[in-house]
Amino acid sequence: MNCDHIKEQLTEYLNHQLPDAERFALEAHVAKCPGCQEELESMQQMWQTLGSVPVPEPSENLRPEFYAMLASYKETMPTALATPLGGFFGWLQSLMLPQSAVRLAYGLSLLAVGLVGGYWLNNKKTAATPEQQQLATLTTQVEQMRQVMLLSLIKNPSASERLRAVSYTKEISGPNDRVIEALLSTLNHDDNVNVRLATLEALAELADEPKVRMGLVQSLPQQESPLVQSALADVMVQLQEKRSVQPLRRLLKQPDLNQTVKDKIKESIKTLSTGQPAAPSTSNDYDETFLSPQPDRSAGAIV
Amino acid sequence: MLRVKAGDVDRMGLLFERYHRKLFGFLYHMLGQAEASEDLVQTVFYRMLKYRHTFTGDGEFRTWMYHLARNVLADHVKKNRHSVRHSDVADYAEKIGGGVGADEQLQREQEVATLHSALAKLSAENREVLVLSRFQELKYEEIARVMNTTEGAVKVRVHRAMNELKTIYLRIEN
Repeated sequence: MNCDHIKEQLTEYLNHQLPDAERFALEAHVAKCPGCQEELESMQQMWQTLGSVPVPEPSENLRPEFYAMLASYKETMPTALATPLGGFFGWLQSLMLPQSAVRLAYGLSLLAVGLVGGYWLNNKKTAATPEQQQLATLTTQVEQMRQVMLLSLIKNPSASERLRAVSYTKEISGPNDRVIEALLSTLNHDDNVNVRLATLEALAELADEPKVRMGLVQSLPQQESPLVQSALADVMVQLQEKRSVQPLRRLLKQPDLNQTVKDKIKESIKTLSTGQPAAPSTSNDYDETFLSPQPDRSAGAIV
Repeated sequence: MLRVKAGDVDRMGLLFERYHRKLFGFLYHMLGQAEASEDLVQTVFYRMLKYRHTFTGDGEFRTWMYHLARNVLADHVKKNRHSVRHSDVADYAEKIGGGVGADEQLQREQEVATLHSALAKLSAENREVLVLSRFQELKYEEIARVMNTTEGAVKVRVHRAMNELKTIYLRIEN
């Protein structure tokens, strides 16, 4: 046993970590070797001095701070779940899932959340969104405004403004009673022939309304212009309105009736009585019909 | 600790009462700053609660405690790399060192103070094993478990630490 080996063991000896056998050997050696004894003494002194190196007491705050921390930790911890939770974490750890698998699962779950969220948002949009409701409201409001404009414009002194008013009827999906009344009144009382013709055209398209049909029939005796009379007769034929036969006959009795119109009306009555549909005579033909040397050519062609 | 792990967190109070002084001592020797050491004691106990599921129960509790403490310490040192270390010890050594060593008691105190500053000057890894074996009275085998190393390596390191301490001590004294 040499001195170097002994010196290496000194710390262990001081530390009481040396097994008994080696300890006895060391003590035996040190007793005989003054060099090692000196080394041991200096080491021993240092070891003991080290033991008296003061450690300050932890301050008074440490204990209350610890218990405060413990209390707040307990609050965050659901007590009922405490045991299974610990077990669950242990179980998770024991699984030792590879990092990539965890990441993949995380990514997939994020994707799923995104898809579900997107789907949900999309569905929500196809349902009645506020925008669509607003749009519907706006559309109704525009139509109402058109009606109001029509009603006010139709009383305008300028014939072109009145024409414009009549043209609005095409843009109103379901004209209400007030509009129909205004149009009928225009048809019967307007000074301008063109306005009356336009109104007639507009009303003819609304002929599904019984009120309009009735108004048109009643309008027959009131018309003085040959143009309008002729056009009305055409509309009656188009609508196959049998109730118009009487007023038309009465119209024929008027002494000052235009010859062309007379022929036209006779033709119309004939068509209406036999129940045969007449060839449609569009509004564009009115002028032609009136000016043509053979005004009833279209009806004649069929008959 | 096993009961703490099982959800009986109140038991942690008992562990605190039993170990907080030792833990504080360890951290104090490693840091040399009483206040920071107290904060770290708190942190270590918090981590014990938080990571109580990692306590397997086959090692001793204090091995686990020092293991956590080392990690906390490493985090702290990393965070405060630029702060001055061992300021408390320096103050203490200065105060004592200023006295006249005529009286035996005073001489003894000065010796202790010198050794204290020598300890503070020791490299961190050597100081660590020395503190654990001398102050915390851990067996080599336990230190090895705390530091994830072998008993033989600990033995060698403690021996080297004592030699380094002696060298520094003598240098300061002269």
